[in-house]
Amino acid sequence: MATAAIEVSGVVKRFGDTTAVDGVSLTVPQGSIYGLLGPNGAGKTTAIRMMLQIMLPDEGTIRVLGEPVERLRTDRIGYLPEERGLYKKMRVGDLLTFFGEIKGLRRGDARERALAWLGRLGLAETAAKKTEELSKGMQQKVQFIATVIHEPDLIILDEPFSGLDPVNTNVLKDIILEYRRRGHTVVFSTHMMEQVEKLCEHICLIDRGRVVVEGTLPSVKARHGRGGVSLRFEGDGSFLRDLPAVESLMDHGNEVFVRLRDGARPEALLDAARGRVTIRKFEVAEPSIHDIFLELVSKG
Amino acid sequence: MTVHIIRREYVEIVRRKSFVIGTAVAPVLMAAFFLAPVLLSFFVPTQQFLMAVVDQTGEVGAAFVAALDDTLSDGRAKYVATLVPATGARFEGARDGAVAGVRAGSLDIVVAVPETVFEDGRAGYITKEVRNFQILDDLESDLTDIVMRRRLAREGVDYERVASLTTPVRLEMSQITSKGGVEKKDFLTEWAVVFVFVMILYASLLTWGVTISRGILEEKSSRVIEVLLSSMRPRQLLFGKLIGIGLAGLTQFAVWSLAGIAITGMGGAMALSVMASVDIPPAVWLYFVGFFVLGFLLYASIFSVVGSICSNEQDAQQLQGIVTLPMIIPLLTLMLIIQNPNGPIAVVLSFIPLFTPMIMMARVVIVPPPLWQVLLSLALLAVSIHLAVSFSSRVFRVGILMYGKRPSLREVIRWYRLAG
Repeated sequence: MATAAIEVSGVVKRFGDTTAVDGVSLTVPQGSIYGLLGPNGAGKTTAIRMMLQIMLPDEGTIRVLGEPVERLRTDRIGYLPEERGLYKKMRVGDLLTFFGEIKGLRRGDARERALAWLGRLGLAETAAKKTEELSKGMQQKVQFIATVIHEPDLIILDEPFSGLDPVNTNVLKDIILEYRRRGHTVVFSTHMMEQVEKLCEHICLIDRGRVVVEGTLPSVKARHGRGGVSLRFEGDGSFLRDLPAVESLMDHGNEVFVRLRDGARPEALLDAARGRVTIRKFEVAEPSIHDIFLELVSKG
Repeated sequence: MTVHIIRREYVEIVRRKSFVIGTAVAPVLMAAFFLAPVLLSFFVPTQQFLMAVVDQTGEVGAAFVAALDDTLSDGRAKYVATLVPATGARFEGARDGAVAGVRAGSLDIVVAVPETVFEDGRAGYITKEVRNFQILDDLESDLTDIVMRRRLAREGVDYERVASLTTPVRLEMSQITSKGGVEKKDFLTEWAVVFVFVMILYASLLTWGVTISRGILEEKSSRVIEVLLSSMRPRQLLFGKLIGIGLAGLTQFAVWSLAGIAITGMGGAMALSVMASVDIPPAVWLYFVGFFVLGFLLYASIFSVVGSICSNEQDAQQLQGIVTLPMIIPLLTLMLIIQNPNGPIAVVLSFIPLFTPMIMMARVVIVPPPLWQVLLSLALLAVSIHLAVSFSSRVFRVGILMYGKRPSLREVIRWYRLAG
């Protein structure tokens, strides 16, 4: 954790009249799994494109792997774009070799690794097929391989989990965790909060081009999750909202999440509810990232 | 990086079936075009014409029938003529009888020669098939010859003497060739050769332009372009594509040129076909390849703009159509240029870079233009290639990341400035 994998400071990017990224600063620690969260159109993809020098910022500086982004050696980075596609008419083996080569691998080496990866993901027999002949799930796997074939120090994944079936979700998760184990850094953007809870050590929430919150997952929860109670019951729970100890209430259907005011004790809630409804579950819990996300985004 | 793009583009194109077929089929068509006259002569229909010559003069008919010695390609006589002597009042009846034969299908042609032919030079030609002018020509010239001989003989004039004294003058077209010699030329052949060169150039520039435009569009819509751009600068990517696709086109041109040299050489050696009279010096083949390369660079950079600013196939096709328009002008003016290769229209058009490759190609084949004109047109072409490439690489940089509605010209110009 000596140096940051990515340091973004004061970055602004405008497209005509709209400001897609409005003064974003963030730090991705080396060797971490970093989640970039935000609703659609928040500026995540634009921020990522600038980290990759696909676009240049109008203002601010970006350092990647200790270098100013302009001097970045692109072979140290792997990138999975949001909407994915491959050359349809190319053979899978040739395609992966090509992607390895443009990332600085020698031809023979690239082909060897491509075949090894294909074997590992159960696609060994597809090497001579055209990508358009593959199923969607298989194409997704090929895309993962293309992202990591050159063993980059940093991989950046834009909405990697969207559109994946459960099997490929696990394949990708394994790749991400393996990268983490080897001391590499993984940055991914998403609006799927379950993945964030399970995978990320650091998160950054972006909304309307600005950073709303950034830090380690526990620290974000500590700052914004002032304790709460997960409650499941039978009966009319409408009185809960008016209790003095309750600051806000989120109705999830079968369950409600009640956020308590500063200093209020969960027992006060339990006392008030007893007798009025039949309690099935009562759990003192931190708020989920999902709740924090919704709260912070709707506030702004 | 660029080298990998070049290799990928080249290999993927050269492997395509359409490329292999296109490269192989064109020389076959070329050979067919040049050798067809030879081959066709073996396959002309071998129809005999049954003919009756109804003769009122009593002196022309026999000579006329004897003069009909044309043969078909299989050696049989083309005309099988029967003489029907019908002097005096029998003439009309005999003629009507013969015409009835044509009507019934037992005869193809009736030639009726009245006594008055010596005075007014008129004879009858009755047939169902009036479209065969070759027959009319044959018969007319034979009959004219015979009637003239009789007339002259009646006046006591020697036919041979008159013929030699009235020999007409013919202008024979000749051209100074690259070999420094003088060769006979035939306008039709000349026109055909120029047309073939210019058409191939046109078709190739169009095909490869569209190839590059579609390639960029595919990368854009599959988002492969983002992966590529995270690995290299847009300029490297664009140049890699231009060079890779250009090399594929060049490969095709090299094959065609070699085949062309072989075929024309063969035609000449066989001295059978029209090619015997065609002189295509090696320099022309060099120009052919050279103008392809230069034309490709110009048009490919324009087409790459089309690919990079569009997001869907329909928009791209519309724009490709617009880009294609100026390419048609050289084709439309080709006839004028062949007629007057050093005239003002030819000279002016050859200095307009969009037209230079095709117009100069045409001029080079017809009559080598003055050196200064070649150099000036090449210089103008080089300058515009430079401008087109730098314009397209800047628009490319912005355009490839823009999705959605096709931008207006004003927006494209703004992107150009933005990318500066």
